[in-house]
Amino acid sequence: MFGISFIAPILQLIVLGYAASLDVSNMPMVVCDMDHSAASRDLVDHFTSTGYFSIKGYVERHTEIDSWLDDGHASIAIVIPKNFERNLNNGKQAPLQVIADGTETSSASIGFSYASMIVMQYSQNILMESLLKHGQQIIAAQVSPEVRVWYNPDLKSRNFMVPGVLGLLLMVMTMILTSLAIVKEKELGTLEQLVVTPIRPYQLIIGKLAPFFVIGIVDVLLVVAAAAVVFSLPVKGGVLLLIGLSILFLMTTLGLGLFISTISHTQQQAMMTAIFFFMFPMMFFSGFVFPIENMPVLIQYVSVLVPLRYYFVIVRGLFLKGVGMAMLWPQAVALLVFGLVILSLSVARFQKRIG
Amino acid sequence: MSLNIFPIVHKEFRQIRRDKRTLAVLLFIPALMLFLFGYALNFDIKHTATAVYDEDNSAVSRDFIQQFFRNEYFDYTYCLNSKSEINNLVDGGSVKMVLVIPKKFSDHLAHGENTPVQIIIDGSNSNTGSVLVGYVNMIIQQYSMNVLAETFARQGGKMIAAPIDYEPRVWYNPELKSAKFLVPGLIAFILMVTAVISTALAVVRERELGTMEQIMVSPVKPVELILGKTIPYTVISLIATVMILILGAILFDVTIKGSVLLLALVTIIFLIGALGMGLFISTIAETQQVAFMIAVLATMLPTFILSGFVFPIRNMPWIIQVITYIIPARYFLVALRAIVLKGVGISAFWEQLLYMVAFAALMLTVSSIRLKKILS
Amino acid sequence: MTTVSANDYAVTVENLSKKFGSFVAVDHISLNVRRGEVFGFLGPNGAGKSTTIRMLCGLLSPTSGTATVAGFDIAKNPDAVKEHIGYMSQRFSLYEDLTVEQNINFYGGIYGLDETRLHERKQWALEMAGLRGKETVLTQSLSGGWKQRLALGCSILHQPPIVFLDEPTGGVDPVSRRNFWELIYELSNQGTTVFVTTHYMDEAEHCNTIGFIYSGKLVAIGSPTELKHNLDQYQVYEVHCSDPVEAMELLQQQSWTRETSIFGSAFHISTINFPDVETKISQMLAAKNISVTQIEKIIPSLEDVFIHLIAAEDARRQQASAA
Repeated sequence: MFGISFIAPILQLIVLGYAASLDVSNMPMVVCDMDHSAASRDLVDHFTSTGYFSIKGYVERHTEIDSWLDDGHASIAIVIPKNFERNLNNGKQAPLQVIADGTETSSASIGFSYASMIVMQYSQNILMESLLKHGQQIIAAQVSPEVRVWYNPDLKSRNFMVPGVLGLLLMVMTMILTSLAIVKEKELGTLEQLVVTPIRPYQLIIGKLAPFFVIGIVDVLLVVAAAAVVFSLPVKGGVLLLIGLSILFLMTTLGLGLFISTISHTQQQAMMTAIFFFMFPMMFFSGFVFPIENMPVLIQYVSVLVPLRYYFVIVRGLFLKGVGMAMLWPQAVALLVFGLVILSLSVARFQKRIG
Repeated sequence: MSLNIFPIVHKEFRQIRRDKRTLAVLLFIPALMLFLFGYALNFDIKHTATAVYDEDNSAVSRDFIQQFFRNEYFDYTYCLNSKSEINNLVDGGSVKMVLVIPKKFSDHLAHGENTPVQIIIDGSNSNTGSVLVGYVNMIIQQYSMNVLAETFARQGGKMIAAPIDYEPRVWYNPELKSAKFLVPGLIAFILMVTAVISTALAVVRERELGTMEQIMVSPVKPVELILGKTIPYTVISLIATVMILILGAILFDVTIKGSVLLLALVTIIFLIGALGMGLFISTIAETQQVAFMIAVLATMLPTFILSGFVFPIRNMPWIIQVITYIIPARYFLVALRAIVLKGVGISAFWEQLLYMVAFAALMLTVSSIRLKKILS
Repeated sequence: MTTVSANDYAVTVENLSKKFGSFVAVDHISLNVRRGEVFGFLGPNGAGKSTTIRMLCGLLSPTSGTATVAGFDIAKNPDAVKEHIGYMSQRFSLYEDLTVEQNINFYGGIYGLDETRLHERKQWALEMAGLRGKETVLTQSLSGGWKQRLALGCSILHQPPIVFLDEPTGGVDPVSRRNFWELIYELSNQGTTVFVTTHYMDEAEHCNTIGFIYSGKLVAIGSPTELKHNLDQYQVYEVHCSDPVEAMELLQQQSWTRETSIFGSAFHISTINFPDVETKISQMLAAKNISVTQIEKIIPSLEDVFIHLIAAEDARRQQASAA
């Protein structure tokens, strides 16, 4: 169990931290250049020089694009029809097609915005050049955005995902293991054995939850260490605060684990319930990958009940933003309330069952 | 060689039917999840809360602001009176973006000079961050073009402001509906997890309860046991698949563009591999607890993150890409998207199909080897 | 004893051994079980009973030695063995989440019974177990006695010539235990060989032949009567007194005492044959202020025999390791 409790999660964390990225770069592109002119080549260069696109092949006919996109060898295609250069030189509008594979919507929309930007820039250059050529000096202003990205200047996915995976792992380790452990004792009958002793119910519960509490804290520390060492991601907001707030979160997960154990008779039931009725929804409604702000309003209300949601805000706030209790107190309160409610509910149920 | 698998299949079905909770999970939860997640989850970054600090406060700057927000991407949520308010708003997450228009904005514009504006983006969510950067660049580029066009027109130019007639086209999913992207991935994810978990417990449970011994002394052969245990869960997972597809079509307009038969074939092969994997886990785990943990760890997060469900594999570091080769859902997803969204035939994914067949064969083989060892 | 040919043996075991690492669980056991007899494998927990039975059923492979079951070699022809035996484990091995009928159907199915035969045997099993009318009851709701009979029924639906029962009466009330043994007799009368392990001494009395197994070794084998002759040279007494523990300690040290063992609130003592043992004992105990209420010579029970055999084996081993 040791390996599973500690090593596997850390390994997973590392792999997933590297893997989970929606960044767009080197989108495979196929070029159908039917003009073969300096202008068309120049346009294609503009695309590749940004680093967002990488050319995987050239085709001669429009129809050949089909197989490229169908087979997934390219996600985006440029079609430059004949007379592209001629049209530009004669001051006529030159058509240009950009086709994207819409199955990966996120990359498609990002890819499009980049493509639009590149095309517009290219258009502007054309304009400027021909203006100069005609001796006209149009002084036109350019608005240039100076973009500063806060907290995560390189927009590195792992900086976003690693704190997120911490929350998930903590939940899996403490909630699921707790519920399983208690139900196993129920199944074996050893729980009964404990109940007939003079041990008070609350002592029994604390005794049962304590090991997983410890596992949770150790997991947090391990992740912080891994994040710092492997991902160069320190906890800007302070490790102590992280531990303190993690304790609040652990209250909720342990409480949930206890609750699940009171509604399950067998280990299998506990597993099914923990994973499908709790973990699944929590994974998706907590803001792990999908931003809560983008969800339908109804679902946003539902996500208020998901403790993981608050923990994610905390964890990301501490790792990336470096904020403190002043900013995070609403989340802390939410976790505290949730933790107390679920713990008291579960303890009451537990006592009823065994009492 | 006659195989006596019917009694085992029968028994498994009986046991599954009796375990209402598991049955509910296997049949209805996938469909429910699809509904919830397809409806709730998307990457369409729209209506991002934005704060604006306009230092210039001129007609020109106000016009710029108006044009900037004339789309679905950004919502003008806060009007700031000083720079000091920015920190709190962004730190607290009330806005994800701040637009700061410096004092000399209209001046620069009037003199045809380079006119900077400041954009602050909350980068803690790198996914939305990149998208927002892209949008911002696009919008501002558009504005610059318009300025150019107006200046042009004012100075009586005869050239066309937009030399390039740019036609963007989206294939397979013209409205870029996230759902179409997510639904096949969801199907793969849900099937993988439920298939593996359901069989992961299958053998261990019998061992823990002692009924395994009874089977071992009987004439039952290892292959009969494997088939007998896999078939019922295959049937149930297939039913779940059909339900998901129907729901996907009704709610999210995800219709199967390609061949249904091909889809069935591909799904069955995938399921066999997944169920086999669960069985294998079942033969190497000592207790149900361990079996379950291994099953969960091996399927949930890896499938979610490494299968191409949400994150394109292409973007991952190559070491990770190598790892994705052992995630069976990866291959299934390619085939699934190809058939459902693109409507193409085997030629588009025959490689993936081969991998899936190989994986299924591998899993069934190692399972029988392990089972033989246990039974003898 | 009439000579029996190999064909009359249901089970033959020759020098069968099983080692788990350095631990010897079964140490060169040899025995033969005649067809149709009830053979009891007796011994304390951990002596090697279950291990032996599991080897014979094909659940474990032996480290050395050979054995045949129903004429088939367990190592060379395990599949044939499996078709000819029935097995009932300590835990009854029934599916708790299936009904009585569903369990019968399942086991009938995996032994390849066709519809008619299954129906026949199902009726027989229900009748035998007294479960008529309870076909649709969930197995987990049955009490121990019924589960036990159902498990037995399921194990012999295919009417095997031999049935192995591993501690079949564990945790079951005495009345059910007695009834169960009646079933075993019936099976034996019908020609089925029954190989049963147990640690209940009183049950062992019901067997045709008993094999005593201790620490992996077959310490004695024979009918109950034959085994009791082991104690012919000793006398066994049952003593009721005020302080049995003290008394036992005192008497144990005497050279004419063979063994002492506690029996409820009294104790048994086996001594070398000499006259007036009772007087001697009373005197010794009185000298130590222990009052004796009753001393009675008894016919040795199998338990007495067994304790004697264990002590003898222990002594032999001590001598062997000292030498």
